[in-house]
Amino acid sequence: MISLEKISEQLGTTDPWVENRGAYWLAATELNVRDVARVMNEVKARFVTITAYQLPDEDGFRLEYHWDLDGRLLGFAFPVSGNSIDSIYDLCEGVDWIEREVHEGFAVDFLGREYEPLLLREGETPGVNLREVSK
Amino acid sequence: MSYKIPMGPYHPALEEPYKLDLICEGETVCDAKLHIGFNFRGIEHLAETRNYIQVIALMERVCGICSNIHTLTLCQAMEKLTGQTPPPRAQYIRVIVAELERLHSHVLWAGIAAKLMGFKTMFMTCFELREKVMDVLQAISGNRVNYSMNKIGGVNRDIEDPLAVLKMVEALEAEMARTVIPIFTTSRTARARCAGIGVLTHEKAVSCSVVGPTARASGVAQDLRRAAPYAAYAEMEFSTPVEQDGDVRARLMVRALEIMESCRILRQALAKMPPGELDTGDVKLVFATGTATSRVEAPRGEVMYSVSWKENSRTPRRVHVRTPTFANMPAIRWMVLGARLADTPLIQASIDPCYSCTDR
Repeated sequence: MISLEKISEQLGTTDPWVENRGAYWLAATELNVRDVARVMNEVKARFVTITAYQLPDEDGFRLEYHWDLDGRLLGFAFPVSGNSIDSIYDLCEGVDWIEREVHEGFAVDFLGREYEPLLLREGETPGVNLREVSK
Repeated sequence: MSYKIPMGPYHPALEEPYKLDLICEGETVCDAKLHIGFNFRGIEHLAETRNYIQVIALMERVCGICSNIHTLTLCQAMEKLTGQTPPPRAQYIRVIVAELERLHSHVLWAGIAAKLMGFKTMFMTCFELREKVMDVLQAISGNRVNYSMNKIGGVNRDIEDPLAVLKMVEALEAEMARTVIPIFTTSRTARARCAGIGVLTHEKAVSCSVVGPTARASGVAQDLRRAAPYAAYAEMEFSTPVEQDGDVRARLMVRALEIMESCRILRQALAKMPPGELDTGDVKLVFATGTATSRVEAPRGEVMYSVSWKENSRTPRRVHVRTPTFANMPAIRWMVLGARLADTPLIQASIDPCYSCTDR
Protein backbone atom coordinates (compact mmCIF):
# COMPACT_ATOMS: atom_id res chain seq x y z
CA MET A 1 0.00 0.00 0.00
CA ILE A 2 1.51 3.33 -1.06
CA SER A 3 2.09 5.82 1.77
CA LEU A 4 0.58 9.29 1.80
CA GLU A 5 4.06 10.76 2.30
CA LYS A 6 5.11 9.18 -0.99
CA ILE A 7 2.19 10.92 -2.69
CA SER A 8 3.22 14.24 -1.14
CA GLU A 9 6.70 13.65 -2.49
CA GLN A 10 5.35 13.02 -5.98
CA LEU A 11 3.27 16.19 -5.73
CA GLY A 12 6.34 18.13 -4.66
CA THR A 13 4.94 19.32 -1.36
CA THR A 14 5.96 18.90 2.27
CA ASP A 15 2.60 19.89 3.71
CA PRO A 16 1.14 17.23 6.01
CA TRP A 17 -1.96 15.16 5.34
CA VAL A 18 -4.74 15.79 7.83
CA GLU A 19 -7.28 13.08 8.60
CA ASN A 20 -10.58 14.80 9.18
CA ARG A 21 -14.06 13.28 9.41
CA GLY A 22 -13.74 10.51 6.84
CA ALA A 23 -11.03 11.77 4.49
CA TYR A 24 -7.32 12.50 4.34
CA TRP A 25 -6.85 16.10 3.22
CA LEU A 26 -3.83 17.72 1.67
CA ALA A 27 -4.40 21.43 1.96
CA ALA A 28 -1.48 22.56 -0.15
CA THR A 29 -2.65 25.79 -1.73
CA GLU A 30 0.04 25.78 -4.41
CA LEU A 31 -1.21 22.50 -5.92
CA ASN A 32 -2.66 22.44 -9.40
CA VAL A 33 -5.64 20.17 -10.05
CA ARG A 34 -4.06 18.68 -13.19
CA ASP A 35 -0.86 17.80 -11.32
CA VAL A 36 -2.93 16.11 -8.64
CA ALA A 37 -4.89 14.13 -11.27
CA ARG A 38 -1.64 12.98 -12.89
CA VAL A 39 -0.23 11.76 -9.58
CA MET A 40 -3.51 10.05 -8.71
CA ASN A 41 -3.29 8.18 -12.04
CA GLU A 42 0.30 7.18 -11.26
CA VAL A 43 -0.58 5.74 -7.87
CA LYS A 44 -3.68 4.05 -9.37
CA ALA A 45 -6.17 5.90 -7.20
CA ARG A 46 -9.82 5.77 -8.26
CA PHE A 47 -11.61 9.05 -8.88
CA VAL A 48 -14.70 9.38 -6.71
CA THR A 49 -16.32 12.79 -7.14
CA ILE A 50 -16.14 16.58 -7.04
CA THR A 51 -18.21 18.51 -4.51
CA ALA A 52 -18.86 22.16 -5.29
CA TYR A 53 -19.43 24.76 -2.59
CA GLN A 54 -20.56 28.28 -3.31
CA LEU A 55 -18.71 30.62 -0.95
CA PRO A 56 -20.45 33.59 0.69
CA ASP A 57 -19.88 37.22 -0.26
CA GLU A 58 -19.08 36.58 -3.92
CA ASP A 59 -15.87 34.78 -3.02
CA GLY A 60 -16.44 32.29 -5.82
CA PHE A 61 -16.47 28.55 -5.26
CA ARG A 62 -14.51 25.80 -3.59
CA LEU A 63 -14.23 22.47 -5.37
CA GLU A 64 -13.36 19.40 -3.35
CA TYR A 65 -11.92 16.53 -5.39
CA HIS A 66 -11.92 13.02 -3.96
CA TRP A 67 -9.99 9.91 -4.93
CA ASP A 68 -10.02 6.46 -3.33
CA LEU A 69 -6.69 4.78 -2.67
CA ASP A 70 -7.09 1.25 -1.29
CA GLY A 71 -10.05 2.27 0.84
CA ARG A 72 -8.58 5.60 1.96
CA LEU A 73 -10.48 8.65 0.78
CA LEU A 74 -8.11 11.40 -0.34
CA GLY A 75 -9.38 14.97 -0.53
CA PHE A 76 -8.02 18.05 -2.26
CA ALA A 77 -9.75 21.42 -2.04
CA PHE A 78 -9.28 24.04 -4.76
CA PRO A 79 -10.57 27.60 -4.62
CA VAL A 80 -12.15 28.74 -7.86
CA SER A 81 -11.76 32.37 -8.62
CA GLY A 82 -13.34 33.87 -11.73
CA ASN A 83 -15.63 30.84 -12.09
CA SER A 84 -13.14 28.68 -14.01
CA ILE A 85 -10.71 25.87 -13.31
CA ASP A 86 -8.78 23.45 -15.51
CA SER A 87 -10.65 20.36 -16.59
CA ILE A 88 -9.08 16.97 -15.87
CA TYR A 89 -11.36 15.08 -18.24
CA ASP A 90 -8.47 14.26 -20.59
CA LEU A 91 -6.58 12.74 -17.65
CA CYS A 92 -9.48 11.03 -15.92
CA GLU A 93 -12.43 9.78 -17.92
CA GLY A 94 -14.53 9.22 -14.82
CA VAL A 95 -14.74 12.95 -14.15
CA ASP A 96 -16.89 13.66 -17.22
CA TRP A 97 -20.39 13.66 -15.74
CA ILE A 98 -19.54 15.39 -12.49
CA GLU A 99 -17.71 18.21 -14.32
CA ARG A 100 -20.81 18.62 -16.48
CA GLU A 101 -23.07 18.57 -13.42
CA VAL A 102 -21.02 21.21 -11.60
CA HIS A 103 -20.95 23.30 -14.77
CA GLU A 104 -24.72 23.02 -15.16
CA GLY A 105 -25.55 23.60 -11.51
CA PHE A 106 -23.01 26.20 -10.43
CA ALA A 107 -21.85 27.81 -13.71
CA VAL A 108 -18.27 26.79 -13.00
CA ASP A 109 -16.38 26.52 -16.28
CA PHE A 110 -13.92 23.64 -16.72
CA LEU A 111 -11.29 24.89 -19.13
CA GLY A 112 -10.04 22.71 -21.96
CA ARG A 113 -13.07 20.54 -22.55
CA GLU A 114 -16.21 20.60 -24.61
CA TYR A 115 -19.64 20.16 -23.13
CA GLU A 116 -22.16 17.82 -24.62
CA PRO A 117 -25.85 18.73 -24.35
CA LEU A 118 -27.14 19.24 -20.87
CA LEU A 119 -26.88 16.31 -18.52
CA LEU A 120 -29.29 17.12 -15.76
CA ARG A 121 -31.85 19.59 -16.98
CA GLU A 122 -33.66 21.08 -19.94
CA GLY A 123 -32.83 24.40 -21.55
CA GLU A 124 -30.57 25.96 -24.08
CA THR A 125 -28.01 27.68 -21.89
CA PRO A 126 -25.45 25.55 -20.11
CA GLY A 127 -23.59 26.88 -17.11
CA VAL A 128 -26.28 28.59 -15.06
CA ASN A 129 -25.97 28.87 -11.29
CA LEU A 130 -29.22 27.19 -10.24
CA ARG A 131 -28.96 28.53 -6.70
CA GLU A 132 -28.92 32.10 -8.02
CA VAL A 133 -31.77 31.40 -10.44
CA SER A 134 -33.96 29.91 -7.70
CA LYS A 135 -33.63 32.91 -5.38
CA MET B 1 -24.90 4.22 -43.66
CA SER B 2 -25.45 4.91 -40.00
CA TYR B 3 -28.70 5.92 -38.40
CA LYS B 4 -29.79 6.99 -34.95
CA ILE B 5 -32.28 5.07 -32.85
CA PRO B 6 -33.57 6.96 -29.84
CA MET B 7 -34.37 4.64 -26.93
CA GLY B 8 -36.34 6.30 -24.16
CA PRO B 9 -36.91 8.30 -22.08
CA TYR B 10 -40.05 6.13 -21.87
CA HIS B 11 -39.47 2.70 -23.36
CA PRO B 12 -40.58 -0.85 -22.46
CA ALA B 13 -36.93 -1.91 -22.03
CA LEU B 14 -36.14 0.84 -19.54
CA GLU B 15 -37.34 0.56 -15.98
CA GLU B 16 -36.90 4.27 -15.32
CA PRO B 17 -36.83 7.34 -17.55
CA TYR B 18 -33.58 8.09 -19.33
CA LYS B 19 -32.53 8.24 -22.93
CA LEU B 20 -30.03 6.37 -25.04
CA ASP B 21 -29.33 7.64 -28.54
CA LEU B 22 -27.90 4.62 -30.34
CA ILE B 23 -25.92 5.22 -33.54
CA CYS B 24 -26.22 2.01 -35.57
CA GLU B 25 -24.91 0.53 -38.78
CA GLY B 26 -27.29 -2.24 -39.67
CA GLU B 27 -27.93 -4.12 -36.45
CA THR B 28 -24.60 -3.12 -34.92
CA VAL B 29 -24.28 -0.28 -32.41
CA CYS B 30 -21.38 2.08 -33.34
CA ASP B 31 -21.85 4.72 -30.65
CA ALA B 32 -24.24 5.77 -27.93
CA LYS B 33 -25.10 9.00 -26.18
CA LEU B 34 -26.78 9.03 -22.81
CA HIS B 35 -29.17 11.58 -21.42
CA ILE B 36 -30.33 11.64 -17.83
CA GLY B 37 -32.08 14.22 -15.68
CA PHE B 38 -35.68 13.16 -16.23
CA ASN B 39 -36.02 12.50 -12.49
CA PHE B 40 -34.11 15.61 -11.36
CA ARG B 41 -35.80 16.88 -8.19
CA GLY B 42 -33.15 19.24 -6.81
CA ILE B 43 -32.90 17.15 -3.63
CA GLU B 44 -29.40 18.39 -2.74
CA HIS B 45 -30.67 21.96 -2.81
CA LEU B 46 -33.82 21.01 -0.88
CA ALA B 47 -31.63 19.40 1.78
CA GLU B 48 -30.18 22.82 2.57
CA THR B 49 -33.65 23.90 3.72
CA ARG B 50 -34.31 20.93 6.05
CA ASN B 51 -33.19 20.54 9.65
CA TYR B 52 -31.08 17.61 10.86
CA ILE B 53 -34.15 15.43 11.48
CA GLN B 54 -36.09 16.35 8.35
CA VAL B 55 -33.05 15.90 6.11
CA ILE B 56 -32.89 12.18 7.00
CA ALA B 57 -36.48 11.66 5.85
CA LEU B 58 -35.76 13.66 2.69
CA MET B 59 -32.62 11.75 1.72
CA GLU B 60 -34.38 8.43 2.33
CA ARG B 61 -36.48 9.40 -0.68
CA VAL B 62 -33.52 9.77 -3.05
CA CYS B 63 -34.07 6.14 -4.00
CA GLY B 64 -36.92 3.67 -3.56
CA ILE B 65 -34.76 0.55 -3.69
CA CYS B 66 -31.70 1.48 -1.62
CA SER B 67 -33.41 4.03 0.64
CA ASN B 68 -31.76 2.64 3.78
CA ILE B 69 -28.28 3.09 2.34
CA HIS B 70 -28.89 6.81 1.84
CA THR B 71 -29.93 7.41 5.43
CA LEU B 72 -27.11 5.20 6.69
CA THR B 73 -24.49 7.17 4.76
CA LEU B 74 -26.02 10.51 5.73
CA CYS B 75 -26.29 9.56 9.42
CA GLN B 76 -22.69 8.33 9.46
CA ALA B 77 -21.56 11.71 8.07
CA MET B 78 -23.69 13.62 10.59
CA GLU B 79 -22.35 11.42 13.41
CA LYS B 80 -18.84 12.56 12.45
CA LEU B 81 -19.98 16.18 12.71
CA THR B 82 -21.69 15.67 16.07
CA GLY B 83 -19.17 13.28 17.62
CA GLN B 84 -21.73 10.50 18.12
CA THR B 85 -20.81 6.81 18.04
CA PRO B 86 -23.73 4.38 17.70
CA PRO B 87 -23.74 1.52 20.25
CA PRO B 88 -22.70 -1.98 19.04
CA ARG B 89 -26.26 -3.34 18.78
CA ALA B 90 -27.23 -0.46 16.50
CA GLN B 91 -24.17 -1.15 14.32
CA TYR B 92 -25.27 -4.78 13.92
CA ILE B 93 -28.84 -3.76 13.08
CA ARG B 94 -27.44 -1.39 10.44
CA VAL B 95 -25.54 -4.30 8.87
CA ILE B 96 -28.61 -6.56 8.92
CA VAL B 97 -30.88 -4.02 7.24
CA ALA B 98 -28.18 -3.06 4.71
CA GLU B 99 -27.67 -6.70 3.72
CA LEU B 100 -31.42 -7.37 3.49
CA GLU B 101 -31.62 -4.35 1.22
CA ARG B 102 -28.76 -5.72 -0.92
CA LEU B 103 -30.58 -9.05 -1.08
CA HIS B 104 -33.86 -7.60 -2.28
CA SER B 105 -32.08 -5.24 -4.70
CA HIS B 106 -30.05 -8.06 -6.28
CA VAL B 107 -33.08 -10.36 -6.53
CA LEU B 108 -35.13 -7.56 -8.06
CA TRP B 109 -32.35 -7.00 -10.58
CA ALA B 110 -32.16 -10.73 -11.30
CA GLY B 111 -35.88 -10.70 -12.06
CA ILE B 112 -35.58 -7.77 -14.45
CA ALA B 113 -32.56 -9.34 -16.15
CA ALA B 114 -34.52 -12.58 -16.55
CA LYS B 115 -37.39 -10.69 -18.12
CA LEU B 116 -35.02 -8.99 -20.58
CA MET B 117 -33.52 -12.38 -21.43
CA GLY B 118 -37.01 -13.59 -22.30
CA PHE B 119 -37.04 -15.87 -19.26
CA LYS B 120 -40.41 -14.92 -17.78
CA THR B 121 -40.73 -17.87 -15.42
CA MET B 122 -37.49 -16.85 -13.79
CA PHE B 123 -38.76 -13.28 -13.53
CA MET B 124 -41.78 -14.55 -11.56
CA THR B 125 -39.60 -16.76 -9.34
CA CYS B 126 -37.28 -13.86 -8.51
CA PHE B 127 -40.10 -11.49 -7.68
CA GLU B 128 -41.75 -14.10 -5.46
CA LEU B 129 -38.45 -14.44 -3.59
CA ARG B 130 -38.05 -10.68 -3.38
CA GLU B 131 -41.46 -10.49 -1.71
CA LYS B 132 -40.14 -12.77 1.01
CA VAL B 133 -37.17 -10.47 1.59
CA MET B 134 -39.56 -7.53 1.72
CA ASP B 135 -41.60 -9.43 4.31
CA VAL B 136 -38.50 -9.69 6.51
CA LEU B 137 -37.82 -5.98 6.12
CA GLN B 138 -41.44 -5.21 6.92
CA ALA B 139 -41.29 -7.45 9.98
CA ILE B 140 -38.27 -5.48 11.23
CA SER B 141 -39.21 -1.95 10.28
CA GLY B 142 -42.95 -1.95 9.65
CA ASN B 143 -42.34 -0.64 6.13
CA ARG B 144 -41.75 -2.21 2.75
CA VAL B 145 -39.79 0.60 1.13
CA ASN B 146 -38.67 3.51 3.28
CA TYR B 147 -37.69 1.74 6.49
CA SER B 148 -36.81 4.80 8.63
CA MET B 149 -34.29 2.69 10.50
CA ASN B 150 -31.40 5.16 10.86
CA LYS B 151 -31.03 8.18 13.07
CA ILE B 152 -28.05 10.17 14.28
CA GLY B 153 -26.31 8.00 16.85
CA GLY B 154 -28.15 4.74 16.21
CA VAL B 155 -31.31 3.13 14.88
CA ASN B 156 -35.00 3.74 15.47
CA ARG B 157 -36.12 0.12 15.86
CA ASP B 158 -34.80 -3.03 17.45
CA ILE B 159 -34.79 -6.55 16.05
CA GLU B 160 -36.55 -8.11 18.99
CA ASP B 161 -36.57 -11.69 17.77
CA PRO B 162 -33.40 -12.30 15.75
CA LEU B 163 -33.99 -16.06 15.73
CA ALA B 164 -37.27 -15.62 13.87
CA VAL B 165 -35.53 -13.40 11.30
CA LEU B 166 -32.72 -15.96 11.09
CA LYS B 167 -35.25 -18.66 10.20
CA MET B 168 -36.66 -16.48 7.42
CA VAL B 169 -33.16 -15.78 6.11
CA GLU B 170 -32.26 -19.49 6.13
CA ALA B 171 -35.42 -20.32 4.22
CA LEU B 172 -34.57 -17.62 1.69
CA GLU B 173 -31.01 -18.83 1.35
CA ALA B 174 -32.17 -22.39 0.70
CA GLU B 175 -34.61 -21.21 -1.95
CA MET B 176 -31.97 -19.04 -3.64
CA ALA B 177 -29.48 -21.91 -3.61
CA ARG B 178 -32.08 -24.28 -5.02
CA THR B 179 -33.50 -22.12 -7.84
CA VAL B 180 -32.01 -18.70 -8.61
CA ILE B 181 -28.28 -19.36 -8.29
CA PRO B 182 -28.07 -22.64 -10.27
CA ILE B 183 -30.31 -21.36 -13.04
CA PHE B 184 -28.40 -18.10 -13.47
CA THR B 185 -24.99 -19.74 -13.23
CA THR B 186 -25.55 -22.89 -15.26
CA SER B 187 -28.59 -22.55 -17.53
CA ARG B 188 -27.96 -22.48 -21.27
CA THR B 189 -30.51 -19.70 -21.74
CA ALA B 190 -28.68 -17.38 -19.36
CA ARG B 191 -25.32 -18.29 -20.87
CA ALA B 192 -26.52 -17.80 -24.46
CA ARG B 193 -28.02 -14.38 -23.73
CA CYS B 194 -25.24 -13.07 -21.48
CA ALA B 195 -21.83 -14.56 -22.28
CA GLY B 196 -19.55 -12.27 -24.30
CA ILE B 197 -22.20 -9.51 -24.40
CA GLY B 198 -21.64 -5.91 -23.26
CA VAL B 199 -17.99 -6.33 -22.34
CA LEU B 200 -16.37 -3.68 -20.16
CA THR B 201 -12.64 -4.37 -20.11
CA HIS B 202 -10.62 -4.09 -16.93
CA GLU B 203 -8.75 -1.07 -18.34
CA LYS B 204 -12.00 0.72 -19.23
CA ALA B 205 -13.52 -0.12 -15.85
CA VAL B 206 -10.52 1.50 -14.16
CA SER B 207 -10.45 4.59 -16.39
CA CYS B 208 -14.22 5.13 -16.05
CA SER B 209 -13.94 4.71 -12.23
CA VAL B 210 -16.89 2.32 -12.12
CA VAL B 211 -17.93 0.85 -8.79
CA GLY B 212 -19.72 -2.07 -7.17
CA PRO B 213 -20.67 -5.30 -8.98
CA THR B 214 -20.02 -3.58 -12.33
CA ALA B 215 -16.37 -3.04 -11.33
CA ARG B 216 -16.00 -6.44 -9.68
CA ALA B 217 -17.28 -8.16 -12.84
CA SER B 218 -14.40 -6.52 -14.73
CA GLY B 219 -11.74 -7.74 -12.33
CA VAL B 220 -11.60 -4.65 -10.08
CA ALA B 221 -11.63 -6.12 -6.57
CA GLN B 222 -13.04 -3.22 -4.57
CA ASP B 223 -15.58 -3.44 -1.78
CA LEU B 224 -15.86 -0.75 0.88
CA ARG B 225 -17.22 -3.26 3.40
CA ARG B 226 -13.75 -4.78 3.35
CA ALA B 227 -11.49 -1.86 2.30
CA ALA B 228 -13.01 0.74 4.64
CA PRO B 229 -15.34 -1.16 7.01
CA TYR B 230 -18.23 0.74 8.58
CA ALA B 231 -21.00 -0.25 11.02
CA ALA B 232 -20.12 -3.80 12.19
CA TYR B 233 -18.65 -5.11 8.92
CA ALA B 234 -15.17 -5.44 10.42
CA GLU B 235 -16.56 -8.28 12.56
CA MET B 236 -18.09 -10.20 9.64
CA GLU B 237 -16.45 -12.92 7.57
CA PHE B 238 -17.34 -12.86 3.90
CA SER B 239 -15.81 -13.06 0.45
CA THR B 240 -15.89 -10.48 -2.32
CA PRO B 241 -16.80 -12.24 -5.57
CA VAL B 242 -14.73 -11.00 -8.51
CA GLU B 243 -15.02 -12.07 -12.16
CA GLN B 244 -12.65 -11.25 -14.97
CA ASP B 245 -14.70 -11.41 -18.19
CA GLY B 246 -16.45 -8.03 -17.84
CA ASP B 247 -19.52 -9.21 -19.76
CA VAL B 248 -23.19 -9.38 -18.75
CA ARG B 249 -22.69 -12.95 -17.53
CA ALA B 250 -19.85 -11.84 -15.24
CA ARG B 251 -22.09 -9.15 -13.75
CA LEU B 252 -24.78 -11.78 -13.30
CA MET B 253 -22.35 -14.17 -11.61
CA VAL B 254 -21.02 -11.49 -9.24
CA ARG B 255 -24.51 -10.58 -8.07
CA ALA B 256 -25.58 -14.22 -7.76
CA LEU B 257 -22.56 -14.96 -5.56
CA GLU B 258 -23.12 -11.76 -3.59
CA ILE B 259 -26.64 -12.95 -2.74
CA MET B 260 -25.09 -15.96 -1.02
CA GLU B 261 -22.48 -13.78 0.73
CA SER B 262 -25.24 -11.47 1.98
CA CYS B 263 -27.02 -14.47 3.48
CA ARG B 264 -23.73 -15.48 5.11
CA ILE B 265 -23.30 -12.01 6.63
CA LEU B 266 -26.92 -11.99 7.79
CA ARG B 267 -26.54 -15.33 9.57
CA GLN B 268 -23.44 -14.07 11.40
CA ALA B 269 -24.93 -10.69 12.32
CA LEU B 270 -28.18 -12.19 13.61
CA ALA B 271 -26.34 -14.83 15.63
CA LYS B 272 -23.76 -12.48 17.14
CA MET B 273 -25.89 -9.36 17.69
CA PRO B 274 -24.91 -8.03 21.12
CA PRO B 275 -27.44 -6.79 23.67
CA GLY B 276 -27.55 -3.13 24.56
CA GLU B 277 -28.88 0.26 23.59
CA LEU B 278 -30.15 1.25 20.16
CA ASP B 279 -28.85 4.81 20.21
CA THR B 280 -26.79 7.29 22.16
CA GLY B 281 -29.80 8.53 24.12
CA ASP B 282 -31.24 11.99 24.53
CA VAL B 283 -28.11 14.03 24.05
CA LYS B 284 -28.07 17.55 22.70
CA LEU B 285 -26.63 17.40 19.21
CA VAL B 286 -24.01 20.04 18.55
CA PHE B 287 -22.76 20.22 14.98
CA ALA B 288 -19.18 21.25 14.37
CA THR B 289 -18.39 23.64 11.55
CA GLY B 290 -16.91 21.87 8.56
CA THR B 291 -17.39 18.97 6.20
CA ALA B 292 -17.72 15.26 6.87
CA THR B 293 -17.68 12.51 4.29
CA SER B 294 -19.09 9.03 4.53
CA ARG B 295 -19.03 6.11 2.13
CA VAL B 296 -21.04 2.91 2.06
CA GLU B 297 -21.10 -0.12 -0.25
CA ALA B 298 -24.65 0.00 -1.61
CA PRO B 299 -26.11 -2.84 -3.71
CA ARG B 300 -24.97 -1.06 -6.89
CA GLY B 301 -21.63 0.16 -5.52
CA GLU B 302 -20.14 2.97 -3.52
CA VAL B 303 -22.38 5.79 -2.26
CA MET B 304 -20.63 8.86 -0.93
CA TYR B 305 -22.09 11.76 1.02
CA SER B 306 -20.30 15.03 1.69
CA VAL B 307 -22.15 16.96 4.38
CA SER B 308 -21.12 20.47 5.32
CA TRP B 309 -22.42 22.26 8.41
CA LYS B 310 -22.07 25.62 10.07
CA GLU B 311 -21.95 25.63 13.87
CA ASN B 312 -25.25 26.43 15.61
CA SER B 313 -27.18 25.98 12.39
CA ARG B 314 -30.13 23.58 12.30
CA THR B 315 -29.79 23.02 8.54
CA PRO B 316 -26.86 21.71 6.51
CA ARG B 317 -24.89 24.15 4.41
CA ARG B 318 -24.44 21.54 1.69
CA VAL B 319 -25.29 17.89 1.11
CA HIS B 320 -23.65 16.29 -1.91
CA VAL B 321 -24.52 12.75 -2.95
CA ARG B 322 -22.43 10.65 -5.35
CA THR B 323 -24.45 7.57 -6.27
CA PRO B 324 -23.11 4.38 -7.89
CA THR B 325 -25.16 4.65 -11.07
CA PHE B 326 -23.75 8.15 -11.61
CA ALA B 327 -20.31 6.51 -11.73
CA ASN B 328 -21.34 3.41 -13.68
CA MET B 329 -23.68 4.79 -16.31
CA PRO B 330 -21.11 6.54 -18.55
CA ALA B 331 -19.48 3.12 -19.06
CA ILE B 332 -22.62 1.92 -20.89
CA ARG B 333 -21.30 3.79 -23.93
CA TRP B 334 -18.32 1.42 -24.06
CA MET B 335 -20.36 -1.69 -23.26
CA VAL B 336 -22.71 -1.26 -26.22
CA LEU B 337 -19.99 -0.55 -28.80
CA GLY B 338 -20.17 -3.32 -31.41
CA ALA B 339 -23.15 -4.94 -29.70
CA ARG B 340 -26.27 -6.07 -31.49
CA LEU B 341 -29.13 -3.61 -31.15
CA ALA B 342 -31.32 -6.35 -29.65
CA ASP B 343 -28.83 -6.84 -26.81
CA THR B 344 -28.75 -3.20 -25.68
CA PRO B 345 -31.72 -3.45 -23.25
CA LEU B 346 -30.01 -6.28 -21.39
CA ILE B 347 -26.60 -4.56 -21.49
CA GLN B 348 -27.91 -1.31 -20.01
CA ALA B 349 -29.84 -3.28 -17.39
CA SER B 350 -26.73 -5.26 -16.46
CA ILE B 351 -25.29 -2.38 -14.44
CA ASP B 352 -28.56 -2.33 -12.44
CA PRO B 353 -29.12 1.37 -13.15
CA CYS B 354 -31.09 3.57 -10.79
CA TYR B 355 -32.06 6.95 -12.18
CA SER B 356 -33.90 8.10 -9.11
CA CYS B 357 -30.50 7.97 -7.37
CA THR B 358 -28.57 9.36 -10.30
CA ASP B 359 -30.74 12.37 -10.96
CA ARG B 360 -31.54 13.20 -7.34
